Amino acid sequence: MSEQALKLTTYFGERARVGGRLLADELLDAAARQDIALSVLLRGVQGFGAKHRPRTDRLLTLSEDLPLVSIAIDDAQRIEALRASVAELPGEGLITLEPASMATDGGDFSADSEIKLTACLGRHERIDGEPAFAAACRVLREAGVSGATVLLGVDGTIDGERRRARFFARNAGIPLLVLSVGEAARIERALTTLRQMLPSLLFTLEHAQVLKRDGQLLRQPAGASPGAESDSARVKLTVVTSEAARHRSRPVYLELVRRLREQGAAGATSLRGIWGFHGEHEPHGDRWLSLRRHVPVITEMIDAPERIVRLFEIVDELTSERGLVTSELVPTAAPFGLSPGL
Amino acid sequence: MSAYAWIAVAVLGSVGSIARFLLDRAISLRSAGSFPLGTLAVNASGALVLGLLTGLAFSGEALTLAGSATIGSYTTFSTWMFETHRLGEDGRVQAGALNVLVSIVVGIGAALLGRTIGAAL
Repeated sequence: MSEQALKLTTYFGERARVGGRLLADELLDAAARQDIALSVLLRGVQGFGAKHRPRTDRLLTLSEDLPLVSIAIDDAQRIEALRASVAELPGEGLITLEPASMATDGGDFSADSEIKLTACLGRHERIDGEPAFAAACRVLREAGVSGATVLLGVDGTIDGERRRARFFARNAGIPLLVLSVGEAARIERALTTLRQMLPSLLFTLEHAQVLKRDGQLLRQPAGASPGAESDSARVKLTVVTSEAARHRSRPVYLELVRRLREQGAAGATSLRGIWGFHGEHEPHGDRWLSLRRHVPVITEMIDAPERIVRLFEIVDELTSERGLVTSELVPTAAPFGLSPGL
Repeated sequence: MSAYAWIAVAVLGSVGSIARFLLDRAISLRSAGSFPLGTLAVNASGALVLGLLTGLAFSGEALTLAGSATIGSYTTFSTWMFETHRLGEDGRVQAGALNVLVSIVVGIGAALLGRTIGAAL
């Protein structure tokens, strides 16, 4: 595998079918067939897409059709091949392609820039008795990065037994992802420690910018992003809040997606983490027998650069005190699917 | 109860649960909020129909089939409780209390209305 890699992300609905099969199965099978280095399937808790049909796990009947996010990472050639086969599927959703680096020296990261780190761990992997994801969050926080969130995969493929054995030597379980954003130097410091703890750690690095942290506005999202020559270029905003964070008595992530839908945004997906931190807070998860939940929730929205500027006003208002807001350039984003309806 | 009645309970029970799923989903997709209006509509309309049936003096096996089998599988206590708990989880205690209170008031009102209409027919 070369160091310059691509990340293919597919956003679609849980009930979407291709022929008689679930689209999710079809995507993971395609990733397995093509020996993709890593693919992970994540289930969102709420969201909407181009048709603005609401999906939420807050209502029982609607929770049988939640948003899904499938991520595949490998070198450019393999990912382009996978994308070609995915684009032909008659489902309905959004495909994005983003550059990623699978080694610390593989990307063009200047010292002052910010980096998004995605680390893949086994669900029950442990380091000295501590869950690996909790250890990773601790290391990231000690290095002073802006935040980290642990997302459980519900499915995944890792090419070949060899790589599975290497990365999941103590657990051949389903992959989970630790997403983290921070200054390049801090991320690299944390990564050095993480790789000492887990010598065969599978990770990717991507460019990202922190826009807002704990209510403090650091910069505005780029309207016309540099390098966005093509019409299909989009900007992805990611908002991390605690599930317990409120805006006028409603959870911030629920209110955010409701307003984005009202404003006619192209789409948004919320993913509930199991553990994480952002800003100056201790890593947090749920507490036993506590009615309110304290896990972090990530809300992603992908839209045209000029619309992102408008949507950021909503994000800005809802994260007046807490939350972490980051932006990434998505060079290629295209809807897929031929069949209307769904 | 005859074997045919048991089969009818199974068939009408599935009709009730499918009707609930369709109505709940249609309302939830339109309301798009996180307040469980779909469940409220299902439970209130079920109470109205059950009131109507008793008002029409259904009894015996007919009441078992129409009431226990059809309306019993159509209305849902567990979803009502589950979604109230979800509102509590979201810290929306007022909305949760409202969901309990409105369901009781509207539900009893619907049953009373149904029975009154049924008796007048």
